[in-house]
Amino acid sequence: MTASFEVVGTRLPKLDAPEKVSGLVQYGDDLQIAGLLVGAIKRSPHSHARILNIDTSAAEALPGVKAVLHAGNVQQRPYGFYGDNIPLKPDIVRFVGDEVAAVAAVDEETAARAIALIDVEYEVLPAVFDAYAALEEDAPVIHPERNLTSNVSMRWDFDHGDVAGAERQAAVVVEGLYQSPLAAPAPIETHVTIASYDAHDHVTIWAPIHMVFLYRKEISQCLGIPWEKITVIQPPVGGSFGAKIDIDPHDFITVMLAEATRRPVKMSFSREDEFISTRTRQPIHFRMRSGADSHGNLLFRDVDIVSDNGAYNGWGSHAMLVAMQTCSSHYRVPNVRIRCAVAYTNKPWGGSVRGFGNPQATFAVEQQMEQLADALGRDPIDLRKQNAYHEGDVTPQGLRITSCGLDECLDRVRKQSGWDERRGRMKHLRRGLGAAAFTHVGGGARVYGSDGCGAMIKLDDSGRVTLISGSSELGQGSETALAMIVAEELGIPVESVAVVNSNTDIKPWDVGVHASRTTFIAGNAARMAAAEAKAMLFATAAPLLGAEPADLASAQGEIYVRDEPNRRIGVARVARRRLLSEGGSAVLANAFYDPPSEPMDETHRGNYSAAYGFGAHVAEVEVDVETGMIRLLNLWTAHDVGRAINPMAVEGQIEGGAAMGIGLALSEELTVNHGRVLGANFHDYGMPTAVDVPRIHVELVETIDGEGPFGAKGVGEGGLIPVPAAVANAVADAIGVRPSQYPMRPWKVLEWLDGASELPTVMGPTRG
Amino acid sequence: MADVLTPTSVADAISMLGAHPGAHLVAGGTDVMLDLRTGRSHADSLIDLSRLSSQLSGIRAEGGRWRIGAMTTIRALEDDRELARQAPAIGEAATVLGSPQIRTMATIGGNLAHGTPSAEMPPPLLVHDASVELVGADGTRTIPLADLFVGPGRTSMRRPEILTAVVCDATDGGCGSVYLRQTVRWAMDLAGVGVAASVRVVDGRIETARIALGAVHPVPLLVPLASAVVVGHSYDPGLAREAGRLAAEACTPITDARGSSDYRRRVVAALVPRALRIAWLRATGQFTADRAPINGVLNEEGR
Amino acid sequence: MRLELTINGDPVRRDVAPDSVLLSVLRDDLQMVGTKWGCMTGDCGACTVLVDGSPVVSCLQLAAQVGGHSVTTIEGVAERGVLDQVQAAFVRNGAAQCGFCTPGMIMAVEALLDRHPGPVDEPLVRKELEGNLCRCTGYNKIIDAVLEVADLRAGDRACEHGHGGEPLTS
Repeated sequence: MTASFEVVGTRLPKLDAPEKVSGLVQYGDDLQIAGLLVGAIKRSPHSHARILNIDTSAAEALPGVKAVLHAGNVQQRPYGFYGDNIPLKPDIVRFVGDEVAAVAAVDEETAARAIALIDVEYEVLPAVFDAYAALEEDAPVIHPERNLTSNVSMRWDFDHGDVAGAERQAAVVVEGLYQSPLAAPAPIETHVTIASYDAHDHVTIWAPIHMVFLYRKEISQCLGIPWEKITVIQPPVGGSFGAKIDIDPHDFITVMLAEATRRPVKMSFSREDEFISTRTRQPIHFRMRSGADSHGNLLFRDVDIVSDNGAYNGWGSHAMLVAMQTCSSHYRVPNVRIRCAVAYTNKPWGGSVRGFGNPQATFAVEQQMEQLADALGRDPIDLRKQNAYHEGDVTPQGLRITSCGLDECLDRVRKQSGWDERRGRMKHLRRGLGAAAFTHVGGGARVYGSDGCGAMIKLDDSGRVTLISGSSELGQGSETALAMIVAEELGIPVESVAVVNSNTDIKPWDVGVHASRTTFIAGNAARMAAAEAKAMLFATAAPLLGAEPADLASAQGEIYVRDEPNRRIGVARVARRRLLSEGGSAVLANAFYDPPSEPMDETHRGNYSAAYGFGAHVAEVEVDVETGMIRLLNLWTAHDVGRAINPMAVEGQIEGGAAMGIGLALSEELTVNHGRVLGANFHDYGMPTAVDVPRIHVELVETIDGEGPFGAKGVGEGGLIPVPAAVANAVADAIGVRPSQYPMRPWKVLEWLDGASELPTVMGPTRG
Repeated sequence: MADVLTPTSVADAISMLGAHPGAHLVAGGTDVMLDLRTGRSHADSLIDLSRLSSQLSGIRAEGGRWRIGAMTTIRALEDDRELARQAPAIGEAATVLGSPQIRTMATIGGNLAHGTPSAEMPPPLLVHDASVELVGADGTRTIPLADLFVGPGRTSMRRPEILTAVVCDATDGGCGSVYLRQTVRWAMDLAGVGVAASVRVVDGRIETARIALGAVHPVPLLVPLASAVVVGHSYDPGLAREAGRLAAEACTPITDARGSSDYRRRVVAALVPRALRIAWLRATGQFTADRAPINGVLNEEGR
Repeated sequence: MRLELTINGDPVRRDVAPDSVLLSVLRDDLQMVGTKWGCMTGDCGACTVLVDGSPVVSCLQLAAQVGGHSVTTIEGVAERGVLDQVQAAFVRNGAAQCGFCTPGMIMAVEALLDRHPGPVDEPLVRKELEGNLCRCTGYNKIIDAVLEVADLRAGDRACEHGHGGEPLTS
């Protein structure tokens, strides 16, 4: 399928790989800046309290302390969804870790001592840590300024069709409560922010973040700094997975410290700080009922969702958007009722972490698919195929399915795993196979006013092409993919393309890296800009070759007449001819691509992505039924990626996502005790090691999307999304009990075997 | 900021310990440096034992016993072929301790002296009848390893005293041992439950047996009441399960992030019979692999 | 405290705080920021360097103890810009994504391959890398890179032909 391309579709090592393997990449904490001060934050030790008094005099008097800030001596405005957050808390603190004061000092030791010397008097208030308890009428009110009912920050409700009527028609109905843990994205690089003022009151901020433009806007609005006085630079990112999407109090605080001291200030998070006070993956609980007719057609899904989003909204409050989409649009379900409540609790608050509500929802939906199949005596993969969407379908929420390889993905993992021969047949070995599939956005996600991205290209006298993209590289390989797209479009070697990730003064706008949108949207913008550049080159080359521009093609750095390839000229030469002549011009091209999607309306309907990605996994587990230990033996995956611009990078994203999913499924949970995060370290927070992750088998299905660049769709989150569900289904196959929550830790397995937990139940035929 | 003192002899180290009450000994540093960093402990000075490595390292068979120098790294224990053959439980515990980096740095002396209830090395050493040599200002004393542990993070070492060697059984044919553990992840985790067992088989019957537990009691724990059950018989699953039940009753695990006390007792009851079985199979030459599966699940049938 | 040791083959003499860990001597005293940190508790392996060829987590390594010893960091692996076999294999196989764990991972791999010069299988490789967390790759391509180098070296030993490294810059 990719035989006609020079560059796209090749397994290309990342362009920055040599630097990475040599230790030459400078991440945020590596940057050496003269006169750098160390910033540190005084955090609340209480989950819920009123600040009565802050005494900073001892801290200020400590030699080497250059600034001590608190709400009383800074200019700041509320920020965040519904303005529910503010960098330095003036009166109420809402979780253990909430920011109360900050210092800038000459070194880490002085900063730490200054923090210890800040004396804060609190009046402790009753706190609530459980989402259901927070929703009770008499629960402590966490955000009184919002005048909410029972700590419900937001509600997301959706209705389609007649669920009650559909249930009466159902031959089988399953019901269950499915719970997911508080987890951490935990990139190996912790958060780091550096801010520095110059002599023109202009602040430059370095932060390894996803959304430089939104970040700049928030800084401006919260701190009252004119927009044009802020430059944001993204240094290389050591992983994020959504942790670095939200702008956080420490970002504003670092700028405030830089302003107060007029020296560069660096705030670098320890791993403990990272666990305690950066964005989490919120627990989301699903009470779900679904039913099918006797032929296996899904009839309805009835879902009550509670998201325990912690003390503030952040982007985490919007995970419902995606969770809802899975409930309404993963498989064809004609009747849907969804009720979501996003609850405030006095705990670390949620962000937009890889998958963004989809893994949690898929855990529920995909277990119910297998339960329905078992109740009907049908094969679960067959049941999925029967109910899968196809090209041209429109889902209850208005998602328009264009390219869709779900069916093919299911077939592939069925084959790879030996499903037909082995599922249900290894119980004597306590082994099992479980499948799970997913639907996710693959062509952007219109959750902000614009879902667009700009690209600028220049090609000067050296023949070297520079792409300045609005988008940014997080380590996922987007820069290489963009270089490949530009190289393919222009017909030049990929080595001739430099992708420059510059700062907000130079690069064109992009909403940011999220929702697996970068290849699709930044890729299209890059391709459009490259096409414009190519037109300029062809216009100059045509008379030189005695042909019309329409007769020309380019490959391997040369422009030639399509029908007479011997008439050719090098691209660099053409660029020089264009430039170095009277009335000459440079090759400067730009484009802004905003995808053909629409925002959701008030009823939560709208085709908010220009394409959707799909995939299917099968997991194989072995369970030790006396200790409950689960060994993951195999994971087979197949993903519809539209077209793999760089198959090696696409595999890498899927494999990495799958490993994260394995951690979620089996070992990752942030333990919170009375609001306090325990085990805020890599010792206790069990991220999978190379021993925990089996070889992950990846097959790429290419449906060649009509809108994506060269047919490509997004892939960043898909590897993770179905893993907890696939593992749960495999455990159910192995030992006959259904994991109602994850991580499926050994003692939970024994509990399930003992029948102690509330198990999803299967009901038989209903009336009618 | 703490000073670093660098003794070049054991006597040096002891006198430094005596002269600096706020000093901590540092061998590999993987526990001590971590404690200092996290604030679990505080030191005015550090006594760096690394220059005593050559004097205090080594794994030697001497007079029917193994003598392991306290500064022997966990990695060296992992790598020793003869030890693996004769005291497999010790090599197995060494293999699962931490990571290659930790094993390169950490020492057996440090692992014992830190007194962590979930430490990997004590249970296998206990089932190999280990004792430790402690050298102080007044000379050397040798105590059974079981007497070293007093409570979580506390040992019976006096001040100033240095643990210089561990001595344990050198076993020949007819003996087998194994170390098993329960964890959540399959690497890097601390044991939720650690179980070691050793048996000596003579004429087809178990002549001596030892079972030791880690992570389920304030100290690493030998459970003689449990091991007594299997003595005098050939391996019998029913007796092994009984031993497991008694072992579970004898320990007092806590409830923490690695499981509840009830769960841990259940796991003890499950792992002890597996450990006895593998020890028996090794003693009778029926299981020759260097390393047993860490949870003791042996065969295709899942038992 | 005066620390004297060899780093990447060069003699280094520096006054450092006596209770420094090797990581902070490298990054803060010597500005050698190729070695990263991810946890400072010895659990992630990002800070892995070699001491006398063996892997240690430099965040817990008391610097005083490496006085007189030989330390190898990521900066010492490539030879004048020419990547070594491990680095080249990482590049070829897509074994680095964000690259943050990569310096520590490569040092662990170098140690692994020196420790096991013969054939290696996947379980052994995974076990020897259990102390190096990667959040991006899922480990697949890292394992591929290691197995590839092990094969190359087995081939080297078999035919006694050398395999050169690849230049750093393309």
